[in-house]
Amino acid sequence: MVNSLTRLTLLSVALTSFLSAEELGKMWGTAEEEAKYYPIVNIPIPQNIPMRPGSFDMLPDGRLAVGTRKGDIYLVKGAFDSPPAPEYKLFATGQDEIFGLSWKDNAMTTTQFGEVTKISDSDGDGVADRYDTLSNNWGYAEGHEFAFGSKHDPDGNIWVALGLSGSYNSHNLFRGWAVKITPDGKMIPVCSGLRSPGGVGPNAEGAMFCIESQGPWNGCCSLKHLKPGGFLGHPASYNWYPFVPGMDTPKVTPDSPSRFQLEKNRIKELVPPAIRFPYIKMGRSISGFNLNQTGGKFGPFENQIFLGDYTLSLIMRATTEKINGVWQGACYPFREGLSTGIMNVEFTPKGQLMAGGFTTSRQWPVRGTEPYAIQRIDWNGKVPFEVKEINIKKTGFLFTFTKPIDKVVAANPDVYNITTYTHIFRGGYGSPEVDQTTRKVTKAEPSADGLSVMLQLDEIIEGHIHDFNLDSLKSKDGKPLLHTKAYYTVNEIPKK
Amino acid sequence: MAPAAMAEPIVSGLSSSKLNPELKAMVMVEELNCVACHQSDAVFAGRSKKAPRLTGVGSRIHPNYLEEFIRNPHKIKPGTTMPDVLASKDQNEKSEIAKSITHFLLSLEKNDFAPQLPDVVAATEGERLFHMRGCIACHSPRDAEGVELMQDTSVPLGALHKKYSGKSLVKFLMNPHAVRPSGRMPDLKLPAKELEAISNYLLRDTQMPGHLNYTLYQGSIWEGIGTDGVKAIRAGHVDDFNLKTLGKIKRQYAVEYDGWLKIPKAGSYTFYLTLNGGTLAINGKQLLSLEPSQLRAPTELKTTLDLKQGWQKLKVSYYHTGDDKKFSLELEGPGRKRTPIASSMLSVSKQPIPEFVAPKVDAVLAKRGREYFANLGCASCHTDLKIQPIYSTPFAQLSAGKGCISDSVGKHPHYGLGTKQLELMNKFLPVAEKRKLNDREKINKTLTTFNCIACHDRDGLGGIDTKRNPYFTGTHPELGEQGRLPPNLSHVGAKITPEWMREVMLHGKTQRDYIHTKMPQYGAENVEHLIELFGKVDTLENVTFPKITNIQESKNAGYNMIGTKGFSCIACHDFNGKNPLGAGALDLVNVTDRVQKNWFHIFMRNPSRFHTTGIMPSFWPGGKSIRPDVLKGDSAQQIEALWKYLEDGPRAKKPEGLSRQSDQLRVFDKAEMVRGRGTEAGFRAIGVGYPERLNLAFDSEEMALRLLWKGTFANVSLGSFKVSGKEQITFPKGIPFHRLKSLDAHWPYKAKTNYLFPQDHGYQYRGYRLDKLRRPTFLYEYGDIMVEDFFEAVEEEKGKARFKRTLNFESSDDQEPFYFRILAGKGITAQSESDFTMGKLQVRITSGQKAIVRKGDAGDVLIPLKVSKGKLTLTLEYQW
Repeated sequence: MVNSLTRLTLLSVALTSFLSAEELGKMWGTAEEEAKYYPIVNIPIPQNIPMRPGSFDMLPDGRLAVGTRKGDIYLVKGAFDSPPAPEYKLFATGQDEIFGLSWKDNAMTTTQFGEVTKISDSDGDGVADRYDTLSNNWGYAEGHEFAFGSKHDPDGNIWVALGLSGSYNSHNLFRGWAVKITPDGKMIPVCSGLRSPGGVGPNAEGAMFCIESQGPWNGCCSLKHLKPGGFLGHPASYNWYPFVPGMDTPKVTPDSPSRFQLEKNRIKELVPPAIRFPYIKMGRSISGFNLNQTGGKFGPFENQIFLGDYTLSLIMRATTEKINGVWQGACYPFREGLSTGIMNVEFTPKGQLMAGGFTTSRQWPVRGTEPYAIQRIDWNGKVPFEVKEINIKKTGFLFTFTKPIDKVVAANPDVYNITTYTHIFRGGYGSPEVDQTTRKVTKAEPSADGLSVMLQLDEIIEGHIHDFNLDSLKSKDGKPLLHTKAYYTVNEIPKK
Repeated sequence: MAPAAMAEPIVSGLSSSKLNPELKAMVMVEELNCVACHQSDAVFAGRSKKAPRLTGVGSRIHPNYLEEFIRNPHKIKPGTTMPDVLASKDQNEKSEIAKSITHFLLSLEKNDFAPQLPDVVAATEGERLFHMRGCIACHSPRDAEGVELMQDTSVPLGALHKKYSGKSLVKFLMNPHAVRPSGRMPDLKLPAKELEAISNYLLRDTQMPGHLNYTLYQGSIWEGIGTDGVKAIRAGHVDDFNLKTLGKIKRQYAVEYDGWLKIPKAGSYTFYLTLNGGTLAINGKQLLSLEPSQLRAPTELKTTLDLKQGWQKLKVSYYHTGDDKKFSLELEGPGRKRTPIASSMLSVSKQPIPEFVAPKVDAVLAKRGREYFANLGCASCHTDLKIQPIYSTPFAQLSAGKGCISDSVGKHPHYGLGTKQLELMNKFLPVAEKRKLNDREKINKTLTTFNCIACHDRDGLGGIDTKRNPYFTGTHPELGEQGRLPPNLSHVGAKITPEWMREVMLHGKTQRDYIHTKMPQYGAENVEHLIELFGKVDTLENVTFPKITNIQESKNAGYNMIGTKGFSCIACHDFNGKNPLGAGALDLVNVTDRVQKNWFHIFMRNPSRFHTTGIMPSFWPGGKSIRPDVLKGDSAQQIEALWKYLEDGPRAKKPEGLSRQSDQLRVFDKAEMVRGRGTEAGFRAIGVGYPERLNLAFDSEEMALRLLWKGTFANVSLGSFKVSGKEQITFPKGIPFHRLKSLDAHWPYKAKTNYLFPQDHGYQYRGYRLDKLRRPTFLYEYGDIMVEDFFEAVEEEKGKARFKRTLNFESSDDQEPFYFRILAGKGITAQSESDFTMGKLQVRITSGQKAIVRKGDAGDVLIPLKVSKGKLTLTLEYQW
């Protein structure tokens, strides 16, 4: 236990590790290839710092802020250098588990289990001395009642996603809701129906989302749109509507077992998950995410969402689009082989992606075996051949690539393997993939520059994940895709 | 299946089984015990379901039910497999025969049947157990009113409250095979207390004459009956409102009475209610009410109203609390002086409920009944009375479409078979006797007959019905489906060792204690054959076990992999009993006794092959170990090493990381702080350790000082801490400031369901700031008053440290006066108006204010405060 607030200056402390990060986790089998474009760099942590990172933020002075499960906030200098030369300084301590940091107006607004707190240093000695509570007005009286907070939104609000009591019930005020804490400390309930949410944040258009975990009413992990007034699927939190002025309890509760597609016609408040992540193929417990707005410093994936996975120690990408007023989109493998359970990710001013987290003997086993770690994913300037983005059209999907494709191969409809499936929407835990279909590409039209292909399908199945296998595609220079899989969740089909 | 209203016999296993029609017909023939009359070989007879034994039936079953059931079994218990043998008789004959047979059965021994009053409190628990322990796998789940929700596919129960007494039902459930030897009704091996609760639930509609219903409650009764802190503990009948008849009553009890009051003459009546808390309602209208208070002597309440002659609904609640506990209810009215209400004026029902009278056996009727019993064929099925059975056409000579398996009415028994059942039985009648079954068919047929498939699927034969599925629950929801559903039996013969299967099926051993449903016992003679058959039928590929050259090295590797520095198996699994770190998954300590080694090797490589939605991860994805550093990364060697290590069972060295140590947070020259759950200060506790070795915990939810202690500060883990010092003082829950309505009102605190508390009392927590010594000043709002609350530890004399507390109140307006509660609990004494002790703790007001003391078990010390525009400072000292 470290409790001295003396300055800790440490340069390149070697980690005692069984393995190098690249050798972990063979799920996709692409780590070696990924490393050619996006190498992983360890940020050393001194052995006497109990660093279980739960959230990050970037300070205007170029330092990295790390909030920990133990309730400390460290400010780290030199974390973005190559090689990293971190100096850790304990800024604040004695808080509950921290899963949300956002620096604004010379203060660190911190989301911890019990409250949102504005932490600042009023006497300028570099250590916080003011802990101004903005709100602690949600219920917090049982285990597993996690709270994950966003960055400040354009109006200065912090959005907080509140996990259920024991992950199954809602015994305390607003468990299973997302709430908004205003700069003057008001709490505004936003939407109900969450189960065990993780990270909270916006997409490029500014709509707020949070991560949801597999479990009852959640066939797999997903990215959910925090639509004001919406109901996001788990009915345990219906009981708090009477505490929300201006919102009425939905008249209908979901049937079990059912499908999202059926229930959204019965329950007008129901918001289907924007992106579903097929279990194990794309993570087992997705945690924090961050939007890439590095202006190209992180490669070709500008304005895309990058998400960490706790159990499988990997990073994925996602893109969103609004169809018929509903958010949906696709997810793509990105980088595996991180060395611990990833709890959160954050882009640095230099356009690197920080990723960190921990394992715990108290919860699920994790692929990465380090008890805790902070790692950085750098882009070395080489562009991998990847599916950049998938967009849905009325009769098919438009695929955009990072490099020109071999147009002859891409024009052959038979090279695309597409299956679709969905999940059972039910009160039981998780769901297998059900209602499988196989789709045929009726026409494949590469663009003149070879950077995109329009696929016409025999049919698009509403409510299904469309699972694309593109392992026959080649780039113009004859290379295969780095990742051959991508998954698009179809909530809506464009009318035009 | 057709709706039960048609009363066709229900064989529950058949409703879901994917058994082929031939075998279904066989099950039907056996479940209806056709061979009892239509003789065949002993094997066929042995497989068939015997009728219940009738020895002792007179003590077991209500005589009226018995007679009604014999007269018309399908009306009394729709879905029963008992045939109607009187279908061809006219109404008078039916009555006469049923009555005679009943008298015969009652004449067999001395009977002691007598209904008992159900305890509605126990029945609530019984309702939970009935739906949780597995009864509903075969019987229908019920809604809150007791209406069966899945009658068509469930083994019928009929109106049990008309059939059993509490005593006889419990006796039956204790050992169902004593009455029903064929084991279709299994023995759940539940503890007597659970069986009693279930019996109270199933019989809760039993009516008994009596004067007054009561329910006794215990807990934080001042929060009111129906709140979380108050539990009903028992219920029943009493004669009147005399508390003594309830047995020993303790503090924090409450009683709710309800019944009917008979008013002999219309007129104006006055009720006098004397107590420290309670209510009176007549005909649904609340007339008197007094909030319970521990701080008050009994009060007399009265109300006068006009009542008509006849029965009035009466409801009274009484809270056993206060300095001088007292309860009386008296009535005054026309021609009646003020006196307590006598039993003769009270009844639990407006309608008279007849007393149960044991019937006298009529010897003549009984003799005639014995003849009917023999001649009508009853003795063919109910063989335990040793009465000569009558036999019909041998089974081999039966022809389809006649007698029992036709629509015709005649002398034969009538089963009320549905069209599809008739079709099935007629089509496959000859097969039922002759068909030889292969091993796989034998298994499937047994699993259907005993309805094992109601809980276990096996290769798609059946499995839990979607509508019944939600009733299957467990103690560890985080384990997912595997934590609540009985396991799938596909491959079971290649998975479980025969020895363990024997333990589970024949001796009631359980391993998955986190599943609420209990594995029932069906009796060795009925299901033992499955053990061998599973072993013969179920095969998986054979694994070649790797050669171990150094057994010790292998075991050590196993030890390393199980622990937190390896695969961390104990992150989920228990190990030799409870594991405080784990998620409560299956205990690993006797894995090698339970499962076959071959299966272990196959399973470990790819757990999702057997559990598609399971949460067990693979540590050898694609056959490659994620730990290449252990045993050279050889997957087979690693799995074998785990097995070798586990083979030592409870003697195996305790895995690393099994016991967790939390970290001691030490205090040096500046204050230290910690937050989180784990102490009496709640989930939003803030602990502060001061260099003077004094410590406190502040509850930032209720904004109150909750704990004081001396010595070392705290043991800290993620999100929680524990007091590690000594001489702890605990203050009860509750906000610091309040405007009491009266001095006998209770001090408010956050009960479990006061969701908006304490914001609804004007509070808002605003954090804290630290001084140079890192000591916090807590900041909070009480209405429009801003409060700054600062503690400093002072030690003017060695070993005599104390806390000085300074509260600054600031307001921009004059505020209504309020009280500040500085002490609460039992045994408060006042040295002066500003100096108080409670146990070892002394609290002094050092800024001149005076406080008042409310005495008693829930006493307190209150400082009246008035905050005017501007600032007010209050200082206190705590020494212990």
